[in-house]
Amino acid sequence: MGILGMNQSCDSYLDVVPDNVSTIDHAFKLRNEAEKYLFTLYSYLPSNGSVANIGMLAGDEIWIPYQTSIYSNAFEIARGNQSVSNAYVGSWNSMYQAIRHCNIFLENANDPTKIRDISDAERRRWIGEAEFLKAYYHFLLVRMYGPVPLIQTNLGIDATKEEVAIPRNSVDECIAYIVELLDASADKLPMIITDRTLELGRLTRPIAKAVKAKVLLTAASPLFNGNSDYANYTNKDGKLLFDQEFKNEKWVQAAAAAKEAIDIAEEAGHKLFTMPPTSFSLSEQTMLELDLRQAITERWNEEHIWANPNSTTADLQLQAMAPLHVDHNHNNARKILSPPLKVARQFYTKNGVPINEDRTLSFRDDTQLRIATHEERFHIAEGFETSRLHFDREPRFYASLAFDGAVWYKYDSPSNSDENTFVLRSKRTDYAGSTHAFHFNVTGYFIKKLVDWNQTMSSSGASYRVYPWPEIRLADVYLMYAEALNEAYGADNDEVFVYLDKIRGRAGLEGVKESWTTYSTNPSKFTTKEGLREIIHQERLIELAFEGHRLWDLKRWKKSAIYLNAPITGWNMAGENAISYYQINTVYQQRFVAPRDYFWPLSENAVIQNKNLVQSPGW
Amino acid sequence: MRKPTIYHKYYFNSLFMLILCMCSIQFISAQTGQVRVEGTVSDGTGPLAGVTVSIKEGTNLGITDANGRYSIDVAVNVTLVYNYVGYDRIEKRITAVTPNAQKVYVLNVVMEQLGGEEIEDVVVVGFGTQKKGSLVSSITTINPKELKGPTSNLTTMMAGRISGMIAYQQSGEPGADNADFFIRGLGSFGAGKVDPLILVDGIESSPTDMARLQPDDIEAFSVLKDATAAAVYGARGANGVILITTKTGAAGKTKFSFRAENRMSSNTRNFQFADNIRYMELANEAALTRNPLAILPYIQTKIDRTAAGDDPLLYPNNNWIDMLIKDYTFNQGYNINASGGGERARYYVAGTYNIDNGVLKVDGRNNFNNNIKLKNYSIRTNVDLKLTPTTDAAIKVYGQFDDYSGPVGSYDENNNRIHGGQHIFRSAIWSNPVMFPAVYPASFSPYTEHPLFGGAVSGLGSTSLLTNPYAEMVRGYEVYKTSTLQPQLELKQDFSFITPGLSARAMGYLKRYSYFNVVRQYNPFYYRSYLNPVTGEIDLSVLNDGGPNSIGVTGSEYLNYSEGDKNLDSRMHMEASVNYAQRFGKHDVSGMLITILSSYQTGNAGSVQSSLEQRNQGLSGRFTYGYDDRYLAEFNFGYNGSERFASGYRFGFFPSFGLAYRVSNEKFFESLHNTINDLKFRGSFGWVGNDQIGRREDRFFYLSEVNLNDGAYGAVFGENSFYYRPGVSISRYANNLITWEKSRQINLGMDMSLFNNSTEIIVDAFHQKRYNILEPRSFLSPTMGLMGGTPQANTAEAESKGLDASINYNKSFSQAWWATLRANFTFATSKILKRDELDYPENMSYLYRTGHSVAQTFGLIAERLFVDDVEVANSPQQFGTYMGGDIKYRDMNGDGSITLNDMVPIGWPTTPEITYGFGGTVGYKDFDLSLFFQGSARSSFFINPENISPFVLNGGAQNGLLSVVEESHWSEDNRDAYAFWPRLSPQFVQNNTLRFGPNEQYQSTWWMRDGTFLRLKNVEIGYNLPTEKSRRFGVNRFRMYLSGSNLWVWSKFKMWDVEMGGKGLGYPVQSVYNVGILVDF
Repeated sequence: MGILGMNQSCDSYLDVVPDNVSTIDHAFKLRNEAEKYLFTLYSYLPSNGSVANIGMLAGDEIWIPYQTSIYSNAFEIARGNQSVSNAYVGSWNSMYQAIRHCNIFLENANDPTKIRDISDAERRRWIGEAEFLKAYYHFLLVRMYGPVPLIQTNLGIDATKEEVAIPRNSVDECIAYIVELLDASADKLPMIITDRTLELGRLTRPIAKAVKAKVLLTAASPLFNGNSDYANYTNKDGKLLFDQEFKNEKWVQAAAAAKEAIDIAEEAGHKLFTMPPTSFSLSEQTMLELDLRQAITERWNEEHIWANPNSTTADLQLQAMAPLHVDHNHNNARKILSPPLKVARQFYTKNGVPINEDRTLSFRDDTQLRIATHEERFHIAEGFETSRLHFDREPRFYASLAFDGAVWYKYDSPSNSDENTFVLRSKRTDYAGSTHAFHFNVTGYFIKKLVDWNQTMSSSGASYRVYPWPEIRLADVYLMYAEALNEAYGADNDEVFVYLDKIRGRAGLEGVKESWTTYSTNPSKFTTKEGLREIIHQERLIELAFEGHRLWDLKRWKKSAIYLNAPITGWNMAGENAISYYQINTVYQQRFVAPRDYFWPLSENAVIQNKNLVQSPGW
Repeated sequence: MRKPTIYHKYYFNSLFMLILCMCSIQFISAQTGQVRVEGTVSDGTGPLAGVTVSIKEGTNLGITDANGRYSIDVAVNVTLVYNYVGYDRIEKRITAVTPNAQKVYVLNVVMEQLGGEEIEDVVVVGFGTQKKGSLVSSITTINPKELKGPTSNLTTMMAGRISGMIAYQQSGEPGADNADFFIRGLGSFGAGKVDPLILVDGIESSPTDMARLQPDDIEAFSVLKDATAAAVYGARGANGVILITTKTGAAGKTKFSFRAENRMSSNTRNFQFADNIRYMELANEAALTRNPLAILPYIQTKIDRTAAGDDPLLYPNNNWIDMLIKDYTFNQGYNINASGGGERARYYVAGTYNIDNGVLKVDGRNNFNNNIKLKNYSIRTNVDLKLTPTTDAAIKVYGQFDDYSGPVGSYDENNNRIHGGQHIFRSAIWSNPVMFPAVYPASFSPYTEHPLFGGAVSGLGSTSLLTNPYAEMVRGYEVYKTSTLQPQLELKQDFSFITPGLSARAMGYLKRYSYFNVVRQYNPFYYRSYLNPVTGEIDLSVLNDGGPNSIGVTGSEYLNYSEGDKNLDSRMHMEASVNYAQRFGKHDVSGMLITILSSYQTGNAGSVQSSLEQRNQGLSGRFTYGYDDRYLAEFNFGYNGSERFASGYRFGFFPSFGLAYRVSNEKFFESLHNTINDLKFRGSFGWVGNDQIGRREDRFFYLSEVNLNDGAYGAVFGENSFYYRPGVSISRYANNLITWEKSRQINLGMDMSLFNNSTEIIVDAFHQKRYNILEPRSFLSPTMGLMGGTPQANTAEAESKGLDASINYNKSFSQAWWATLRANFTFATSKILKRDELDYPENMSYLYRTGHSVAQTFGLIAERLFVDDVEVANSPQQFGTYMGGDIKYRDMNGDGSITLNDMVPIGWPTTPEITYGFGGTVGYKDFDLSLFFQGSARSSFFINPENISPFVLNGGAQNGLLSVVEESHWSEDNRDAYAFWPRLSPQFVQNNTLRFGPNEQYQSTWWMRDGTFLRLKNVEIGYNLPTEKSRRFGVNRFRMYLSGSNLWVWSKFKMWDVEMGGKGLGYPVQSVYNVGILVDF
């Protein structure tokens, strides 16, 4: 009957898959496809220009109303809810995924039989980019988790349980490998992006050098350099993960790397940003404020060594901006990003020294009120009564923060000038008051620094001019260099002051030596390594405020345990008049457990799954 | 690789040749030494048409005509066999006969009907039928009449009626009310298929296809439970097989049967709200108890004025369930069929029309109907043809069509579809009852044509509005239509002329399914009311007119249209078999070999890999041997291939063996025949497979699945973000070694008939070991950097075992009284034998899934509620922000904090381990009364606390207050540590809801409830008009009946119908009261 014969063609009947179903091999046949793979590597860069930036919401620099406008996992850490069962904003999985992609890319790009239609020069540059990213992703892991397993090459998916159980490498091994990759990549990367239309935002040599400086600075810092808290932190086989010996050499290397990064950056044309003239006639004060604000928000400005166009800032600006008129809708200017009072206090006086050191000015009582004069009108609305704390402050205070009564000059100023321009009013019944169910400010401070001055608002809506997020600006590298120099060689090194004073000069302040000598109650502070260290730390916190650096710097300096155990305070946002509004209100009592909270926990199951992996200390 | 289509052609050619070959057999017997035999076959009351007359050794000679007459030429000394389905077979030996004057030997035959009016002794088995007496395997058959009930959904009738089947129904929404059912419980876990293979006339069907079948049209319903029964289905039979055959025509005068039912349907149980004064008071309490400085949501004036009830527009007071849901609705069902035919052609044609309505209210201001209305029609034509004396053909065409119209559905947080009815019920509880009336009287705005829906802003300064569930319900409607068409052709050729008992059969079908839906809705205008200070009267102002202060989606008076889904699929199947059956003295031998090919393709597959055809190919066989009807043996096998696996891992061999011993046919047993009429012991052992493993998208495990244009992994560069390229993502890594899941099954059974066959007992015990279950590799740690799901392997094992039993009792006590009683019981429990799990340290060994049921829930143990904040401070760290009155969990591993690693197995499995039913019918003269109870035990379910958290504002939703929460909650005045509800809160309390992300919600014993219940499932009172009377109207049978279903339920759980389990806030299971007539003429 032939029935059985019908079964002859068995296997072929079941071959339903045509030949060209896409598999991973297709990704490296042609340049066009391989470029997509290269972009995949970039796609793992964190979106730091948003409220997802761990540095912004996991620490003590910015507070937000809890679970109303946005739900942030990073903020759970700030609230002390980090746990092993549910490690918030861990990047263990995503960074290792990114590293696997880097390895796949490098394996294929290094194989001349793959991507046949690419030029040698471009292949070399792509390899450099992949090497950089592989190093950078490892660095992000080290910063969060301390010693981590280095994945230099990929394992196959058929790897055995033993092969997969990779232990942590020591911090020194991690840093050495990261630096080695960064050095390898720097030579392959271009000095500048010549095709600005298509490629701006891709990696360059100044970026590689600046990141190298940052890596070495981190490695030299107290958290990593001879930290005795981790004397017993070993792998299962007894391998010590933190070298217990403090090595000044690490600071020396960090200083050299920072200097190299500065030289390369300046060679590539980077310099501190100053605002070009505008079509409006603006006061000196306003122009200075714009120098400082636009250094961050001006797109692709010369100060940005590395700006990431994949992390744009529309939402970040929306969350920072406040309504500046009764017609402005709370939805278009949500103002939830609320710096605590301690961050407002951290800025210098107009004399360039800390508020508690200024011998000419007293800031003892924050709730003391004062009325703004005509001369102060570019910072505080004339005749407005507000806290003493808001008067006589350095330009960066007014450029970074807005507060009840603060002037917020923007391009769409109704007066077309900085006279009679927008004023923020945030008492409860005012237009920026905390009346909205979701979008409200909890401290009375608003981040002016993150909003581009081209932001416009009307009763019908708002438009935000987005800017690629500046990952590294030249000011950061100057401060790294100053810090490393002081640590490596002490305070009697003039170059420290050269770079500190460049930053201060752009901010309209006199140099460190002049300021302290003239105004400080501790005029010789800068003459000791420790005193200068304090000055450099504060300068860094002020200059880089709200850019997501403070969390990491405090960790690096082992200062988190001090800063993050202080209460988060702000003004009484329910207050409807000056008396009731200018009461200090405790928003949250933060808790930081040292040394546990310096590093992220691994998930509970990660250490059960991988027998050779040890949990971060304290967790 | 060659093009697959070539093989299609090849196959078609082969099949065509086979059919040709069958048709071309012209069988002309020799005419010598013959006699003509003529006569009439009757059943004592009338002629029987369609009786086949054949020579015992095989040759088919003819069938009786409409008058029961036949006429054949046969040789002397043969035995004639008269066969008719449902009747005892008759054998007549033609020896030295004396023909009459016309040289015709007249032989009239009276056949006796078997076991009442339905066929009882033939059981439908895989690719054929077997005599019940000679069954070796474990098969449940059910008389289709038992599946009749006041419902248009067949699946809702199965629970408790079919031994070996676990079934439960979680929704009563027309179009979404299919019951879930599993043969012998859940045997496996993971993302693959766990429910049975359903074959209707051999056509692979979906549960919905089965739901739409009418019991009137069903000839036989079998459930294949063990390996011997299911092995012939090879790689697809591991989860059990349901075989349904539809009726075929009987030759004779055309018989009509008509059934009409009118059903009244209402919710078995509605959830109960507290009154709205308490709602507002407790909302204030919720705010204050969490934050003493909180602003109260409701001021005292509002509460007082609402209580006074003097101004329902300014101070609304809604019970949304009352406003949205009707008390009852009416449904209709009609079925008509006709059968008849003659010697060469018989037919059965049937048509069905069901209308099922929802219980939603309709707004008269709309000219469309937003209530649910599901109409389904089907038409069935089964034609049997006698092409030659030895060739039969059957042509079956079935078309099934659903027309649905109902409220606009939605999607849940996991993007699963929420049906319209469920959406409305959920909206009813997820809406604030006191902020706005459903709709304002039209007199407020005489010139507007749209309804003036009530609305309110969801919070001060918010840009969204609270949900108005009434507006949600009446704002539009969704329509979907489905059609299923399945033509089928079957040929049977008798090859007795080659060797007696040999026959062949070929069958092919094509099944096309299509679905589309369309949504038409307007955006409602919402109004808020206020007291006009000038006139002192109530004025309305529109909230969403699109102006500068408009809030929420701008209203529109016209309907919008949105494109819906359009799903199409096609299945092609062919099978061809040879059969052999013969008896040599005491030896009964039969054999069957069958080869199948099937191919399935879907229209909107979503990816290249998914779009490729799904193919199955196989060769199966069955060989049976019986000695003296006492010793029976059976060997079955399936040899199957599936395209999902790599070449080399595609084909699997699934053998099974069965033995039965019919003790009652032994000589020594004869003395017992007065009490035990029949006793048989059965045993079987074998393997079956399941190739439907993994997720639906995991089509080809041996290929990697790569998206070379994944926007989520793209990047953009350039001064103005000009240059964007998508990235690459991998959702699966290639794995050549993956193959099917296998099931090794052992079944031991006993069939017994007692007391003149009045009592029939069938008991089966089974053990099944499932291995090669696909699961992710536990040790592939994140540092591997793999994307997509963790690579998987066929590593897990599970066993299931249990018992199913049924007992039937039939007895006529006198001329007037008769009774039938039925009971059946299914118990199936499962255990994971092996899983690729992490190596937990000793103090966490409770985390191992191995050793627990495949449907075991793991969760936290809730000890009680925290008494106060002091206890909170001195207890292990729990989740998020919590205080006294929130749930206190047990720290299992003693690490001082409650984590997900403190989860232990809690409760029974979520799928019940026991399903049972019992009932019966008592008849007196022309009246009969049936009762049927159905129950379920050993299951747990979990209340989702987020769904009933009162006062929580979640987007536009703001939950209502269930009366259970009002009656029992922790409060500062009443610190009841065991209250139903923890401390009230205006926000979700993560510690109590255990929600950690969109797809991460965990369970605890606090919200666990026992799913045990017993319900009065069906009642029917019928009256049959006596035949003498009905004949006067030309009617053979006339029956009127009143019936009801889901009339009562016994359960400890009272919040909603317990059978709905965790889906309790959806569309309730329905109680139905029905009036029906049945007319045969």
